[in-house]
Amino acid sequence: MFAATLLYEVPQDIQAIGLSPTLERGDGAIEFGFVRKDGRTSLARLYQRTPCRALFPNTPPEDCLQAVLVTTSGGLAGGDRIAIAVAAGHETAVTVTTQAAEKIYRSLGPHCAIDVSLAVADKAWLEWLPQETILFEEARLVRRSEADVAAGGRLLAAEMLVFGRLARGERFTTGLLHDGWRVRRDGRLIWADDLRLDGDVAAALLAPGGFAGAEAVGSVLYVADDAAALLACARELSAKTAARAGATLVNGVLVVRWLGTAPDVRAALTQYLAAFRHAAAGWPAQLPRVWSA
Amino acid sequence: MTTIITDAALYRLLAWLSPSYPVGGYSYSHGLEWAVEQGLVCDRAGLVEWIRGILARGSGRIDGVLFAAAWRATQAGDSAALDALVELASAWRGTAETALESRAQGAAFLVVTRSAWPNARLDALADRHKGLVTLPVAVGAASAVHAVPLPAALSAYLAAFAANLVSAGVRLIPLGQTDGQAAVAALEPAVGSAAAAGLVADLDALGTATPMVDWCSMRHETQYTRLFRS
Repeated sequence: MFAATLLYEVPQDIQAIGLSPTLERGDGAIEFGFVRKDGRTSLARLYQRTPCRALFPNTPPEDCLQAVLVTTSGGLAGGDRIAIAVAAGHETAVTVTTQAAEKIYRSLGPHCAIDVSLAVADKAWLEWLPQETILFEEARLVRRSEADVAAGGRLLAAEMLVFGRLARGERFTTGLLHDGWRVRRDGRLIWADDLRLDGDVAAALLAPGGFAGAEAVGSVLYVADDAAALLACARELSAKTAARAGATLVNGVLVVRWLGTAPDVRAALTQYLAAFRHAAAGWPAQLPRVWSA
Repeated sequence: MTTIITDAALYRLLAWLSPSYPVGGYSYSHGLEWAVEQGLVCDRAGLVEWIRGILARGSGRIDGVLFAAAWRATQAGDSAALDALVELASAWRGTAETALESRAQGAAFLVVTRSAWPNARLDALADRHKGLVTLPVAVGAASAVHAVPLPAALSAYLAAFAANLVSAGVRLIPLGQTDGQAAVAALEPAVGSAAAAGLVADLDALGTATPMVDWCSMRHETQYTRLFRS
């Protein structure tokens, strides 16, 4: 299913490096730089440091280039850090996803940190579609995502959080979650959002104005010049679910959210992303195959 | 918390944060109109719990911190920090209507306050950011330039915010006027905690956990019959 080697030319001096010296805690990183070359999107730069790796599956010619991120450690524990950077150059079209759900293990000490940086150039299309993040009981995660979208660039970014290993009957009731987003358009801050759960997490998850007992939350941002024109479409596409769904437009950022059971939220998010990428940009109405694995 | 305040400062706070100050506060429900429509809030106890959540974990929480930061940046004469706060506060709204609520009231507050209590520094702030100064930043900056101490100003601001939501609830549920004031009384500790938290919090460790309030606000955008603008 996957071509596990690079399909694209990578300059020698920035070739992926191997295992870093053994560290007590993970300190992974991955950086992608995409450019338009010979009429198609190609990878110009790749840096990866354990436990982060990238796969480039073959994608149908009518779809955009796909990169799949793998965390070889299988999950993150307290003290682990991961830094992800994606730069989509002028006129590139890229989907970046993850191979599996990201598990955040229990930590009684430090938090784990994920830093995501997305840069979208003029006329570029970037999809940042990681699969869900599962917060184990007593997990501690601080994730900060920053996106810089140039005028004329388009970003579709998704996120899903699951509060506990639900199949085991476990709920995330204590720990820390700080999930922050900053989106800039041509350098100007247009969207700031920080979901923060600490202290009495169980109370916040149950509160009527909090999560009202939802097991999971899903969010999709669309940042583009035509975001306002797609609000009605987003409302319609996001509502076909048993989960609570809502859509809005803030400073030109189209925001869709769902709250509900984990299977409902995942189904709603998947269905919406597939339909929305088709409606907004004419891409096939499907998600990367890893999403259905 | 104990606050010492001059008569003049108290007078200004009472004027600016009175429901009759013409910023249109009565026309915003912060998504409560949809929450009542859905049966999520249907009595006084439910209203108190809903507003308590907004103060502890919702926009009340971040607005308290933004208010304090705006007061301090203005007091220090640091316009670069104040400009960054205006931008952050304006972007830090989860929905179209909560953004409208905060910006439209902020803009109206600056117009009225600059006219009735003229001040060159407030003029400069309004001129630099036309229509983008949210209410907590506007009131925080006005309090600083007019010598209203931060703790009192912040407590008064959050009390007015909570009372405005109670007033929306009284009209929507509906509740009797006395029941409404019982809700205001019940919220006193929550307002005090939010004000105390706003004075010490760090912007980097700040966030919200009220997606249901945002959901209500989003759904309110297409609510068929509505009295409120948010």
